[in-house]
Amino acid sequence: MVEVMTEKAEFEPVIVAFCCNWCAYAGADLAGTSRLEYPTNVRIVRVMCTGRIDPTFILSAFKWGADGVLVAGCHPGDCHYAKGNYAMEKRFNFVNEVLNHLGIEPERLILEWISAGEGAKFAALIRDVTRKIKDLGPSPFKKTTDAAIEALKMQRLRWVMGISQVGVKIDAERYNVVVDNVMKDEIERQMMINAIKEKGPLTIKEISEATDIPPSRILRHIIALRKAGTISEVGEKEHGYLYGVT
Amino acid sequence: MKEEPRLGVFVCHCGVNIGGVVKVPEVVEYAKNLPRVAYAEDNIYTCSEAGLDSIKESIKKYKLNRVIVASCTPRTHEPLFRSACIEAGLNPYLFEMANIREQCSWVHPKEPEKATKKAKDVVRMAVARAAWLEPQTEPEVEIKDSAMVIGAGVAGLTSALTLANQGFKVYLVEKEDKIGGNVRRLYKLYPTMEEAEKILGPVIEAVKKHKKIELLTSTSVEEVGGYVGNFNVTVNQKGEKIPLNVGTIIVACGALNYQPPKGLYQYGVYDNVLTQLELDGMLRKGKLGKPERVIMIQCVGGRKGEIRGYQLESFPKSDTAKLLRKVLKAKKEEGWPYCSRICCMNAIKNAILIKTVSPETDVIILYSDLRVYKEYEDFYARSRDLEVKFIKFLEIVTPEVSETPDKRLKVLAYDMLAGREAEFVADYVVLSTPLIPHKDEVTLARMLKIPISPDGFLMEAHLKLRPVDTAMDGIYLAGAASGPKDVPETIISAKAAAARAAILMANKKMSCEAITAMVNEDLCIGCGLCEELCPFGAPRIEEGKSKMIEALCRGCGVCAAECPRMAITMRHYGDQQVLAQVEAALVPEGFKEGGS
Repeated sequence: MVEVMTEKAEFEPVIVAFCCNWCAYAGADLAGTSRLEYPTNVRIVRVMCTGRIDPTFILSAFKWGADGVLVAGCHPGDCHYAKGNYAMEKRFNFVNEVLNHLGIEPERLILEWISAGEGAKFAALIRDVTRKIKDLGPSPFKKTTDAAIEALKMQRLRWVMGISQVGVKIDAERYNVVVDNVMKDEIERQMMINAIKEKGPLTIKEISEATDIPPSRILRHIIALRKAGTISEVGEKEHGYLYGVT
Repeated sequence: MKEEPRLGVFVCHCGVNIGGVVKVPEVVEYAKNLPRVAYAEDNIYTCSEAGLDSIKESIKKYKLNRVIVASCTPRTHEPLFRSACIEAGLNPYLFEMANIREQCSWVHPKEPEKATKKAKDVVRMAVARAAWLEPQTEPEVEIKDSAMVIGAGVAGLTSALTLANQGFKVYLVEKEDKIGGNVRRLYKLYPTMEEAEKILGPVIEAVKKHKKIELLTSTSVEEVGGYVGNFNVTVNQKGEKIPLNVGTIIVACGALNYQPPKGLYQYGVYDNVLTQLELDGMLRKGKLGKPERVIMIQCVGGRKGEIRGYQLESFPKSDTAKLLRKVLKAKKEEGWPYCSRICCMNAIKNAILIKTVSPETDVIILYSDLRVYKEYEDFYARSRDLEVKFIKFLEIVTPEVSETPDKRLKVLAYDMLAGREAEFVADYVVLSTPLIPHKDEVTLARMLKIPISPDGFLMEAHLKLRPVDTAMDGIYLAGAASGPKDVPETIISAKAAAARAAILMANKKMSCEAITAMVNEDLCIGCGLCEELCPFGAPRIEEGKSKMIEALCRGCGVCAAECPRMAITMRHYGDQQVLAQVEAALVPEGFKEGGS
């Protein structure tokens, strides 16, 4: 199934499009009914509302090799569920921060509003997005993505995401700092857990070598992870503790 | 998974719609080799009786417990295939569709190779998702046998009467102190030229006398809570708040007549520039007299969207091209983008009325496009017999109105058919203005949680297939609330809306799609974020845990995507079910695990 790329073959990106059932998916249907042509690079995943799109869905798409992810929903004010698209819009900023962190160009994640009547807009959007992603080239593979997905399933990071939804008054700059710090922490912790899961119990030095995280930060994370009961000392090696996942 | 999934894949040719581009037999062969696929075939039309029979037989013959149809959009055909599954004893939620027509053959007609590859991908995605599908039981809600009708114009009155005559209790809410809506302000109605009052009078009487109708005038809707079958409404009658509990709601809030801004065609500047509605009033009172000439201008403030199809090259005459260039540069007239549908007939009606009372009066209708549909062609012919004149102007070169020294009106228009400018002196200039949405329609839409169309009217669930339904179950649209309509059309839609509401109330209960949210109480910490985020008030925190009221949940999934503890799952759109599809799209070999 893997396409053999000849030298002359143009890069054909794969773009996953999450479309809401009521507007964007219907818009895509209308593009079809109106016989509007667009490139074949997009694979549509239907969800009831863009508000359903968990950040782990988007990150998973990138993990599995998507060159671009398109999220398309109803225009502001037109959401079938009143405000699901607003929830997605707020989440979009958060996911962009995550992508930034991972070194995935945020331009690969596109959020657009398409109504059920905008078949032409849908077709134009796909043409536009495909061209932009082609210009960006293949998505860089980031080994941290896995850790980021796990981190995004953890409540600490999800709380930070949730705060932006409920309109708690926080200075925007300060919020971004919090997001960045928590994200860095959680992603690093997941990388550590993944390394231990993969290689068996490790010392701090070994974890650092496996993850490229400086030992000083590893020690900090170990204190937190021990407290949470996620890891514990399981033995000794070269005058240091070996840490294993409990 | 309790039982090993056995998938059946049915790939549709849709005549040549799919088969003409996508190599369907190749897709079938591909599907056969996908994991868990027990059977695959192609059909000329899977939605035909033969196709549906084949699905039913195959379910039994090959012991299929998941069915995938690769054809058109689930938005139109999923219910049909689901019912075929039900007939064969398969839970409808074990059915999945792959859209290879709208998303494939119709949009990639010139790339059959790529389209076929994409069709395979789309089928693979559906197969991956299908393996994770679970049977669902649709929750049922009870429907109260009472309705609220918002607006007591012709639409609201008709809907209310239709429902009340079927024995349902109706609360008819009108914000004004009088009932009858726009038609109350009209003199005669086209094409029968009957007086509006004579038509409206008996209806109003019937409504007032009906025991099943509670008429609430000077009353506005303040709050709408609840859900289909059980809406909790608060209305405000002159400051007094009245709670209503109804099963269905019909929105018949009507439309407004567009009032031109001062200065548009000198409206409001000179007294003898009128709107059609004002002319109507003059005709009713017999105040028009016997003017020498009346000029009507069509599409004032209407059809002011993007002007299409004019290329300067198509006007070889240099004068015209020069004029067009000048006009195209000028500021575009403000207004509404759509055709208001009734103004052409309305203008012709008033022209005929003028000719009837004053045959000597010269009546000229300036139009850019005349839209007299169905039987109104006859009506138009009648006006021509009465020597009403029609002059077509170019929609981008609108006429100009000014005053003559003797206080009459000078109208300068570009006569498109003659290809030159024409000048007329008239006693009255009458502007045909469109019906436009109410200002408070936005508030109402927000309260009812129904979307607004790009034109600003309340939006139907589907323009063709569900013209009086809304996106919300149990809420229906009657009359001009969803766009300009004349009286017969208003009555048709009002009766349709009443019938739709009556179906629900007569059945006393309805089943909702089983796509609702579920809470895993072991994971839930009762933080309340879901309660905060849900627009429908479905989750409630009780005893430190989130409790989901299924009848309120509409299945958007915002709570599931935001739950800090990932304690909320969506039926039929669970993480696994979505992720399996994403993975299959990207990792053709890896999807056998079905999401990770």
